Amino acid sequence: MKRRIRVTHHLLWLSLLVFVAPGFAGHKRQPQDSEAVRDFKPFIERVQAYVKMQKSLETSLPTLKPTKDPAQIVEYQQALARKIADARRGAHQGDIFTHEATERIRKIIRKTFAGPEGRRARKTMQQDTPFKVVTLHVNDAFPENIPLTTTPPTLMLKLPELPPELAYRFVGRDLVLKDTKAELVVDLIPNALP
Amino acid sequence: MPTMRCSVIVTCVALAALSLPLRAQELTLPLKTGSVRFAVIGDMGDGTKQQYTVAGQMVAYHSKFPFDFVIMLGDNLIGRKNPADYEKKFELPYKALLDAGVKFYATLGNHDVSNERFYKLFNMNGQQYYTYKKGNVRFFVLDSNYMNPQQIEWLEKELQNSGSDWKICYFHHPLYSSGAYHGSSVELRLLLEPLFIKYGVQVVFSGHDHVYERVKPQKGIHYFTEGSSGELRKGNLRKTDLTAAGYDQDRTFMLVEIAGDEFYFQTISRTGLTVDSGMIQRTPKTAASLLPVRRGHSGSPERTVAKAIGVELTRAPTAAR
Repeated sequence: MKRRIRVTHHLLWLSLLVFVAPGFAGHKRQPQDSEAVRDFKPFIERVQAYVKMQKSLETSLPTLKPTKDPAQIVEYQQALARKIADARRGAHQGDIFTHEATERIRKIIRKTFAGPEGRRARKTMQQDTPFKVVTLHVNDAFPENIPLTTTPPTLMLKLPELPPELAYRFVGRDLVLKDTKAELVVDLIPNALP
Repeated sequence: MPTMRCSVIVTCVALAALSLPLRAQELTLPLKTGSVRFAVIGDMGDGTKQQYTVAGQMVAYHSKFPFDFVIMLGDNLIGRKNPADYEKKFELPYKALLDAGVKFYATLGNHDVSNERFYKLFNMNGQQYYTYKKGNVRFFVLDSNYMNPQQIEWLEKELQNSGSDWKICYFHHPLYSSGAYHGSSVELRLLLEPLFIKYGVQVVFSGHDHVYERVKPQKGIHYFTEGSSGELRKGNLRKTDLTAAGYDQDRTFMLVEIAGDEFYFQTISRTGLTVDSGMIQRTPKTAASLLPVRRGHSGSPERTVAKAIGVELTRAPTAAR
């Protein structure tokens, strides 16, 4: 009797997995293999170090709270950007996107844009803006006058998760790591889009 | 003599301009006691004369239909974002409404910067995505520029926990659109639509395409694109099988009234013409109606899903184009 209950219990779980799992599969982050985990480890550590630095620089500024005065928002953003740029004066492209992470990300992007989801992902991006050519460098202000290109959600499911202080953004064909508070280019992968 | 003729012409034009809105300003909304009342604007923040004219029309309607808040569908500040731009593209056009205590709840568009979330008059409270409640309505405001897994998980949790009768989502990029310039955001639709169906979202508002469109209910959900409250792509709406009603000849804004299980809407042009109106009826859902759609189930899957989330369109559209 106990065995029958156990078998029924297992069958119930199995059927739950069969029917429920596909419904969630669409928007769950995809697990990475051990090689990817190894390649992304230094990148993730550098991201964490960047956020730590950003937070410590923020402490020297008055806290940004919701305000009716837009000047406070703009001044805060510019002051934070200046402080970060000063602190990272010698920063170069590839300091955060390490060589291994860059290669891995290029591969993920190529695969995403080539696969069955590729057409949709490409359309998501093209929908927003023509591929404007803007040459960006580390520590540049993120261009505010060009429309944002939507980062394809299916691609984000495959890239390492970022803290809210940072975001992946495409500008032209480049993948930019953007500081969302300082509106600053933290790092970039040129010609990341195939 | 030529001076006199000129002044006569100017007077005639001015009178015509004045009389058109006066002639056209008709309210189709029922003004029921205790109802939730709001306006909808999208892609408005360009600081042009046209944005100010639409805002003026909103003020005129506010005296007849005193709405408490406005939902903004993104592109709140197009172009530069200096302090002066906040004034020119938001504070001045909507000054009369702001002075009257009307609140604005913004979402971010592809022309916005994420720090707009710290601007108090946008009521985002420093969040890129957030939720708020008005009466029996729960609003879910998303950042469709950056639909990362964290945001999707947050949305699912919030939808799951919401016990409100009406669940309304809004964000910048439309899941369904017949706009020729942008069109439907299919990738986003694949991620969001299953959640909307599962948790009973009834109405979705978006902007991005600079036209007005009401889409035929998709899997029981009503989609509106209102992306012409400042910007306009005249003649850009390629009416398709999706389109229930649309307007691309002038700028527009929407008024909405929710009274109990009834959702009334009226779409008004820059000159005060009503270009669309109607009512959506919500039928209270039961536990049984949440059963998944299966093969062999009586009725079409769309109908079953519509029933499950408790909506049906009860009145034919009175669209005009």
